[in-house]
Amino acid sequence: MFGALLVAGIVHGLIIGLAALAVTLVFGIARFPNAAAGDTMTAGAYAGLLAHQASGSLALAGGAAVAASGAVSLLGYLLVFRPLARRPVASLLVAAIGVAFVIRAVLGLIFGHQQQVFQVPLAWPIEFMGLRIPPMDITLATVAACALAAAFGVLHLTSIGRQMRAVADDPDLARVSGIRPLRVMIALWLLAGAAAGIAGLMLGVKTVVSPEMGWEGLLTAFAAAILGGIGSPAGAVLAGLLLGIAQEVSTPYVGFTYKIALAFVVMLAVLLVRPRGLFGRMEGVR
Amino acid sequence: MSLLEIAHLTGGYGETDILNGIDLTVEQGEILTVAGTNGAGKSTLAKAVMGLLPRASGRIALDGTDILAEPVERRLALGIAYVPQVGNVFASLSVLENLQVVQGVRDAKARIAELLDAFPALSERRRARAGSLSGGERQQLAFARALMARPRLMILDEPTAALAPARVVESFERIRALPALGVSVLMVEQRARQALSVSDRGCILDGGKVAMLGAAAGLLADERAAALYLGRAGGA
Repeated sequence: MFGALLVAGIVHGLIIGLAALAVTLVFGIARFPNAAAGDTMTAGAYAGLLAHQASGSLALAGGAAVAASGAVSLLGYLLVFRPLARRPVASLLVAAIGVAFVIRAVLGLIFGHQQQVFQVPLAWPIEFMGLRIPPMDITLATVAACALAAAFGVLHLTSIGRQMRAVADDPDLARVSGIRPLRVMIALWLLAGAAAGIAGLMLGVKTVVSPEMGWEGLLTAFAAAILGGIGSPAGAVLAGLLLGIAQEVSTPYVGFTYKIALAFVVMLAVLLVRPRGLFGRMEGVR
Repeated sequence: MSLLEIAHLTGGYGETDILNGIDLTVEQGEILTVAGTNGAGKSTLAKAVMGLLPRASGRIALDGTDILAEPVERRLALGIAYVPQVGNVFASLSVLENLQVVQGVRDAKARIAELLDAFPALSERRRARAGSLSGGERQQLAFARALMARPRLMILDEPTAALAPARVVESFERIRALPALGVSVLMVEQRARQALSVSDRGCILDGGKVAMLGAAAGLLADERAAALYLGRAGGA
């Protein structure tokens, strides 16, 4: 029982971690809490659902989710957040909530508000060390691991990734080092959108797809970003895993309704001991 | 023609002017120290030359071309580099990444190899996070980062401010070596006497204006400069 919950928690934690990665990247570089990250996830989930219905391929669904969420994320930046750059954080937060409502309303208009599911074939669980693991969990965990590896590869092994980390570290010094802010911002919003898209796809496959799914998961993603140390991509992913596992493992004891609250208890307990989060300075992506 | 020519420069951060009509030149291959009391406008002048001051008017010319309206990126491309007083390295990036991240560098790999040869302490710690370096190593990295784009003019804002006293002398020796690399220097510095001792000329700002300007040796020997701005020999 514990092992099965642990596996479910890891998969759930990877979803939270990817969403938290999208949140923390934007916080670390653009320096505001992007409340539209959850609904960007939803856009990815719907794009993935359409691609899956058309092709039956989860790989194509993943590509569609990344493309759609990346595009939504970039459009949000170019149309809303870029014109508002240098405004107070509160203004940007309110603008992000507005963007979130717009995305949700558009998705509701196009797809309706009824819940939809990915029609994935049923398969026997795989036995491993006494655990019965659903094959889809292995697939989703592999997808998430590949997405995270790609995201961290971009951040640490490419020139644009180094520039993104430099801007997060010290935007003024980045400016006098010849780093062009627009290129960095475009890369940031595409990367954050792609991470949100994969998270949305995974959440859709694991649960149901509805216009509200991303908004409902946003608070947990924010909690993981804070717990990991604001602006720390590795911290966000590890905190996501921690919260996901805590939620699933606690379900038999606290029930389904209260498992989300328990995740926040874990977050508060860690922050009381370590106010900057697991990996944290208070600012900047590292 | 002077490498850098500043004429009637005024400006500041808000509505109040901090620079009140500065006239100054930096010649090819020289080190010019800008000294003065706190609030005299030294760092503001450095920012104005780099294009970081929100409001500036007058004339700033590099090789005769007015760059006052040019953005930071253009000034970098024209050959101006800037080492800020604090936050002069990317603390979370490795030493190597601090150099790799500089944009607009021709043949960057070769340039990094040259600079790591020139700063052996950095070469040994190329994989270390810049935030873990000692004060002296951080400053070497800050210089190397600024030198990446092969600048003609380097603006140093209080280069010794964050250094332990034991590292200050070697820092000024490093600055003294810059003209031999083809780099002229505009240095803002609180340790005015030590800075002037490695400089060709000096300038003392007071209230956003040039109060004294001349050969460094002359300023060091000047009774009025000592009394009002530099302190007596043997002091800071």
